[in-house]
Amino acid sequence: MKIAVAGKGGAGKTTVSGTVARQLSRAGHSVLALDADTNPMLGISLGMGPEETYRLLTVRQGLDDGTIEHQHSVEGLVEALGVDAPDGVRLVVGMRESRVDPGCVCCGGMTPQQILGELEEGGRTVVCDMEAGVGAIVRAGKADMVLVVVEPSVKSIDVGVRVVASAIAAEAEVIVVANRVRGEADLEAIRAGLGDDCEITVVPEDPTIAQADVEGRAPIDIDPGAPGVHALSSLAERLVPAAA
Amino acid sequence: MAVAAKGPYPKFWATVGSRPARRRPGVVDDCEWSPGERPLRVVVVGKGGAGKSVVAGTMARILARRGRRVLALDTDPVPGLALSLGTTARSTPPLEAAVDPAEGGCWRLKEGIGPVRAVQRFSTLAPDGVHVLEVGDHPVSGVGSVTPAAQAFYQVIHGLPEAKALRAWTMIGDHPAGPRQTTHDWAPYADTLLVVAEPNWKSALTARRLIELASARGAAALPVATKVTSQGDSDRVAQISGLPVAAAIPADEAVLESDRQGVALIDHAPSCPAVRAIEDLVDGLVDGTIRPVASR
Repeated sequence: MKIAVAGKGGAGKTTVSGTVARQLSRAGHSVLALDADTNPMLGISLGMGPEETYRLLTVRQGLDDGTIEHQHSVEGLVEALGVDAPDGVRLVVGMRESRVDPGCVCCGGMTPQQILGELEEGGRTVVCDMEAGVGAIVRAGKADMVLVVVEPSVKSIDVGVRVVASAIAAEAEVIVVANRVRGEADLEAIRAGLGDDCEITVVPEDPTIAQADVEGRAPIDIDPGAPGVHALSSLAERLVPAAA
Repeated sequence: MAVAAKGPYPKFWATVGSRPARRRPGVVDDCEWSPGERPLRVVVVGKGGAGKSVVAGTMARILARRGRRVLALDTDPVPGLALSLGTTARSTPPLEAAVDPAEGGCWRLKEGIGPVRAVQRFSTLAPDGVHVLEVGDHPVSGVGSVTPAAQAFYQVIHGLPEAKALRAWTMIGDHPAGPRQTTHDWAPYADTLLVVAEPNWKSALTARRLIELASARGAAALPVATKVTSQGDSDRVAQISGLPVAAAIPADEAVLESDRQGVALIDHAPSCPAVRAIEDLVDGLVDGTIRPVASR
């Protein structure tokens, strides 16, 4: 199964991706976390720490100085660039924003949606953390499910509406993740914007998640029982049928 | 591998014409400006949700109120700047009407449309007389492409530094989240990047990355800390980003509330602490007391 996580910048995509990936792995699934953002911060929400996350950013430079071999298949890319994250999640930092060479898979020759499309599922669950905005990945229909992360602000809801429309047009299953909800009025604003035909999961405003951001840690490592973290774990368990 | 392969950006240059000579980005010939008169040329960058549009939109409104002619440039295909300026985004990409097909699947500005005409004809007016030019909007239906309008926009902004008629104009850009547009020179009019960051790791590491990219391009970068509740917050942004913070915008319930309502901060709460801090930032940039330092 391939799950794409989309929404406006700052809505909480990376927190959702990281926590869902960790929880799925804890539940016994084989999880590949694909960071498809040119500003890749998924390592932090997976619990790898800020310094290691920043280092991964520069790992691809190894392609330039010859310490990493260029890869010509998606599986090769996953193999060469994958690193281990806590709970057995495998993380691949996929995108780079410059030195685009269309002839080479690992040098930007493939867009995130192509990479996601080509990845063999092979019993894996792929959680793809996308770049801010509407995202071609959703449009291209490479994801089986799209988690649309929305905050209770006009701009975030506006982006959410666009992502939902794209995902529905691409025949992906859609779940709206209403993030940082402080009360009924917030939820009502999101419902009013996104309509009644979407399943909405509510993630309450949670100081644990804010603390995780400040400390550069995974929320699930600070307090798996905190309301926001728990809401995301429950979502993860509903997403994928239990491992055999 | 042969270098014959070229990404979309080199192709842009084919439509722009010859690549401008390498020079310090965005510098407006400052020898003739009397003190405080040199127009600001900045672009606001940073991680998503850090407050880029609020900072850019509020700065634009403040400067327009002081009598400056202001061009606000939104290069995000999901426009947010219009809302922060107190107006609404166009429903179609404005420059869509200004392009002709060119070779190699590219698009170019129509004959006779240069940067000045583009600003005159395709910008909209926001409150206080701010002109806003947007790269344009994905349609909600989700299938349209903004590519022709984006390529036209790219050509327009690359003409701005040389546009004599706009020489005295203040220009404030608002980039989408992340490093992509900084890497590909989407703000050639700007001499300074305002790198907006919240006091958390993801946001401040993004700032560090953007500062590194800016310095590789020879552009100056100034970190602006947002959602700050203490000196420690400000220090954290400085420590992680690697540069001293030029301005600290306090956490302010008025910002959240204006976002919720979808109105411009400066209209919602004209004298709230966040607006005051942005005024101080504008003052400092205009009088030169806030200026970039060499990155470590």
